[in-house]
Amino acid sequence: MVHVFHYHGHHYLYDTGSGALHECDEKTARHIAGEPVEWTDEELKAALADIEGLKDAGLLYKEEVPAAPVKSHEVKALCLHICHDCNLRCKYCFADEGAYHAAREMMSLETAKKAIDFLIGNSGARKVLEVDFFGGEPLMNLDVVKATVAYAKGEAAKRGKRFLFTTTTNGLLLDDDAIEFLNAEMENVVLSLDGRKEVHDAVRKTVNGKGSFDAVIDKIKKFVRIRGDKHYYVRGTFTAKNLDFSKDVLFLADQGFSSLSVEPVVTDIPELQIREEHLPVIEQEYEKLCDEYIRREAEGKGFSFFHFHIDLEGGPCLQKRVSACGAGNEYFSVVPNGDIYPCHQFAGDAKWKMGNVFEGSLNADIRDLFATSCLFTREKCGNCFAKFICSGGCNANNYHYNGDINKPYELTCVMMKKRIECAMHVHAERKSREN
Amino acid sequence: MIRTIAKPQEKKVTGCGECRSTCQSACKTSCTVGNQSCERVTREEKIEKI
Repeated sequence: MVHVFHYHGHHYLYDTGSGALHECDEKTARHIAGEPVEWTDEELKAALADIEGLKDAGLLYKEEVPAAPVKSHEVKALCLHICHDCNLRCKYCFADEGAYHAAREMMSLETAKKAIDFLIGNSGARKVLEVDFFGGEPLMNLDVVKATVAYAKGEAAKRGKRFLFTTTTNGLLLDDDAIEFLNAEMENVVLSLDGRKEVHDAVRKTVNGKGSFDAVIDKIKKFVRIRGDKHYYVRGTFTAKNLDFSKDVLFLADQGFSSLSVEPVVTDIPELQIREEHLPVIEQEYEKLCDEYIRREAEGKGFSFFHFHIDLEGGPCLQKRVSACGAGNEYFSVVPNGDIYPCHQFAGDAKWKMGNVFEGSLNADIRDLFATSCLFTREKCGNCFAKFICSGGCNANNYHYNGDINKPYELTCVMMKKRIECAMHVHAERKSREN
Repeated sequence: MIRTIAKPQEKKVTGCGECRSTCQSACKTSCTVGNQSCERVTREEKIEKI
């Protein structure tokens, strides 16, 4: 399949079978898109020669290989819900403001150790394991986070394995002690900040109902300054209230944050929810962001926006690309009482409880459902150009909006496709500058 | 005229499962496999640099 798209006078061909991206003239693009074109004989001859040459090189109209998904039953990652409580009351929180529709509670060290044992015990030959400290707000249970890291490192060393840790935090408790620990131990830190003060404060409230921007901005800036060149993301959420979210991304970049991710909200709150009528505006926003992103990069003042990063020359293998995210099969969430769910977005839903770390076993039916779910079980993805990049979307989003992990949620598909086109244009512009 | 912008490198090893879990990235809601890298290639490149 060849996807033809146009971006501000540029005409692109993305070949899904080979993964190659080409830029061409408008007539060739329209010809490949099946539109009528008025050619001169010379133009047509040249275009057809180019097309045939790329076909022969396996870079255009290459047949898609129906690769099997990775079938490993090794567990490689856990999302540890170290704290089902939060010191903020964000309106859009999918986690019920940290409580996940249950009692507010902290994970005990005993449970956290059991979770680490479960991960190591089910990791087979895999050497590198991943744990994401998640909440609620993980720093409310920092002592257990610290003790869990120490325990995991000790156990891993005995078995020739290694852990990569991540913490997601709202930044409110980032004091010198937390900063020193996170910078020493975390491979990645995700810091929640939505952008402009008025945007952030409208949804990210303290327990007393005040906006939290002023309480976190300097702490997050300090953390990032000390963090140096280690991985982090300042991660925001946009809602129906700030469809002009490109301004929030740029605001965050202007604060000196160089690694950014701003995501569409996942909520059913009517005034915040992204709806179909918002999509044209959102697509325009991604383009505005893309244009400014390229301009800043060309001036040597660039930053990194998560969704504009697609490694078109490297990237994962085909088997990984068709395997989806791995939730429910090689990645699980563990909540404070030790219950296991396919991922954080399923946590607390009894239907999806897969087991408990104190018992050690996993529900085979649920695991099999996730293990066999892949790009090819998602019928709607068959004719989509983005399929080998997005892998059929988020299982949880698909389930929550369409009732089936194999039915992609159409609104996220539209946004995903737009982001991918922008990312391809970013790549092409970068290549042009290099040449 | 058609100009090739990018073509993927041939993978020496496929399906090894050593890549990072997709949901460990920044977003936690819009996981994108295409944003990831191949751990084997990354590791080999590091060794080559050393």
